[in-house]
Amino acid sequence: MLRSLFLFDVTFWLYLAAMGLYFGYLLASRKALQPAMAGHPSASSEDDGWAQPLGQLATWVTFFGLLVNGLALGTRAYERMQISGTFAPWSNQFEAMAYVSFAIIAGYLLLELKYGIKAIGAFVVSIGFIAMGAASLLPYRYQVAEPLVPALNSYWIYIHVSITLTSYAAFAMAGGLGVMYLLKERAERQGRQGTIFDTFPSLEKIDELGYKAVMVGFPLLAFGTILGAMWANYAWGGYWSWDPKETWALIVWLIYGAYIHARMNRGWEGHRAAIYQIFGFLMVIFCFWGVNFLLSGLHAYA
Amino acid sequence: MDAVTKETEAAKPFTFKEFGDALVEFFSSLKLAIFLMIVLAILSTVGTVIQQGERPDVYVKEYGETVYWWFVKLGFIDIYHTWYFSSVLVLLCINSLTCFHQRFPAIWRSIRQDKVNVTAQFIQNLKRSATVHLPSDPGTVTEGLALAFAERGYRVLVNKGDAETTLYATKGIMGRVAAHVAHLSVTIIVIGGILGNVIGFRDFGVCLEGETYHIPQGNFDLHVDKFWIDYYDNGAVKSYNSTLTVIENGESKLTKTITVNDPLVYKGIWFYQSSYGDSWDRVEKARVVVREKATDKVVGEAILDWKKEAVLKDLGLKLQLTDFVADFGFDAKDRRVYSKTVEHENPAIKLAITEREQTLTAPWVFYNYPDLFEIQGSKYKFELTGYLAKKFTGLQIAKDPGVLIVWLGSTLLVVGVTLSAAIYHRRVWAKVVSGQQGATVYVGGTAYKGQIDFDREFDRLTERLKAQGGQPT
Ligand code: HEM
Repeated sequence: MLRSLFLFDVTFWLYLAAMGLYFGYLLASRKALQPAMAGHPSASSEDDGWAQPLGQLATWVTFFGLLVNGLALGTRAYERMQISGTFAPWSNQFEAMAYVSFAIIAGYLLLELKYGIKAIGAFVVSIGFIAMGAASLLPYRYQVAEPLVPALNSYWIYIHVSITLTSYAAFAMAGGLGVMYLLKERAERQGRQGTIFDTFPSLEKIDELGYKAVMVGFPLLAFGTILGAMWANYAWGGYWSWDPKETWALIVWLIYGAYIHARMNRGWEGHRAAIYQIFGFLMVIFCFWGVNFLLSGLHAYA
Repeated sequence: MDAVTKETEAAKPFTFKEFGDALVEFFSSLKLAIFLMIVLAILSTVGTVIQQGERPDVYVKEYGETVYWWFVKLGFIDIYHTWYFSSVLVLLCINSLTCFHQRFPAIWRSIRQDKVNVTAQFIQNLKRSATVHLPSDPGTVTEGLALAFAERGYRVLVNKGDAETTLYATKGIMGRVAAHVAHLSVTIIVIGGILGNVIGFRDFGVCLEGETYHIPQGNFDLHVDKFWIDYYDNGAVKSYNSTLTVIENGESKLTKTITVNDPLVYKGIWFYQSSYGDSWDRVEKARVVVREKATDKVVGEAILDWKKEAVLKDLGLKLQLTDFVADFGFDAKDRRVYSKTVEHENPAIKLAITEREQTLTAPWVFYNYPDLFEIQGSKYKFELTGYLAKKFTGLQIAKDPGVLIVWLGSTLLVVGVTLSAAIYHRRVWAKVVSGQQGATVYVGGTAYKGQIDFDREFDRLTERLKAQGGQPT
């Protein structure tokens, strides 16, 4: 148990470092931009100085953090195997959050690989870091692996929980992009130049990426919820019992369903979509955290 | 995508057909879909914030009489089964079906489309467009373009004319077909749910080891062979297990040990391990201590099995445990002892005592009140100092013929939503016009969504087109 807790701890510090580096990268890029604004475009490529290496380092530290995070989950799986013969390393609130941060960071690295936009890192890696940090703030008894209660002791937990949590990570990404959109939009409206917001991708691009993140989360949440229903059909004697957790998954899904359809009317892009993505993410947080701690129901085993 | 409502002239009387069209328009509108989804989300939230299906006093204690009265009036204590909740669901189904009816045929036609005819003007007005002059032969340019599209997985249609050739390339229409599969699946799931409610049933049974129960819905019997609990090393419960045997026409048909995640299914009826507890009308064993009345000294002790006679030779006693109640109650009218609740509040056993071959009146012996009754004609006092409760297993018994339909709809939903999220519909048109020094290419396209990716693809395409001609003009 201590081994995995140590690795989760290391993950926490690595994500903190990565987040710092991404913010450092943003600041350095801003400095690099300023001379260019002043009318010495040729100077920029040399003055760029810090931004390049910081950005590189940020990516590598994030990647290393992801590896350690994965290793920690793997170690936890092994420890679970020892005590109860099941391995799913997402069987309590702590493990679930550590898994969500893994999924967020992995998703971010894929995004960076595909689009090469580092500025997003400062926002999305922060969310991954916060998830990991909030997990480490949980009391010790939530952090250790207790054997599973009978209702959870099933192979469904592997697939149902991991898929649902991955969808949360995608919605987290969309939420982070929403914040980014609003910040950049405000800077543009105020006509400020030479700020870190210049290093952000264009508004359309942020908007589009946010939509894509939702379009990853939406099918995953549908699949995860339906797997949950199938599990309930085995464990509780009915596929849908309006238990708060499953109802909240449905609520979140409907909220994003409305978002997807609202985007088909042109008005719902950009500003409104960004706000809605943030609102949706807050609902996800409630579904993930609030329900377990505030509402009672069949899922309240955390 | 967004439906354009045709303004009808105000003066004209509303004809029946117009009314029908307006109705279809209304029911296929995206606005209604968004509205219904949000309403459903809000109603569901109410249902999770206010506890559902509790006893009245729970609400009264938490919210007060007046609020409770409103809750009942508004159906908030069982909101998922109110008429308005169901109505919203049904409206959503009608909405998505009408949407399918309105929009799917056009998508279907576009799959089978085999003609292409657009003007250069149309192309230049598209969201992305470019005009490139090339010194090459128009035929080569067209072939190059067609090849470039084909390589990227586009389906290409070419319409060759004398002076100009029009080219249409499209891919990803399946993403939109998939969206409509998702729309149909919602109704399938709702139908499955309704079916389960109408012709299915759900019961709860408290069953004791060794007993046989008749299951009228399946016309067979269920025998509970065994119930037990497995523990982890640290004492936490690992699993609840019941071994059940199905008996039909006096024959054993099937034996299975069910656990929480592994039910027994027979003739479409599912038996779930759903709870367990201590039985209130029988025990496994009881420990009885015997004292001598005269000296108040303990002279013997017996562990009694349920309804088995135990002999205490030295004391000349034969004891039998004949009855048990968990929460002693006495019905004065019927002169009958019963258990007031299922809780072990006031447990008592009934003892049949034979003392030196003489049968005494069977007394009730109380766990909490050892000295309550004195037994006439006996040298001894009997105390109940402990007992091993008999466990019952709580079985949920359910039949839901709608469930397969629900799974069918769910599968279509997941497949539809996934494909529609992964496959992006794109269309590109190109017009190659031959001029004096080669060809002019008008190329333009739209993406139904996923604009960034499309932009990149479009840029690469125009780059390639320019490179092909040697020098762009
Ligand atoms: C209730 C559950 C519903 C689900 C799960 C659902 C799901 C979807 C999905 C996944 C898409 C594809 C979105 C995209 O590609 O960006 C879509 C598209 C669409 N939905 Fe829905 N939808 C639902 C209800 C409705 C309703 C009630 C309407 C009624 C107007 C509607 C109208 C549309 C339209 C017009 C499209 C665009 C289709 C196209 O490609 O031409 N949807 N829907």
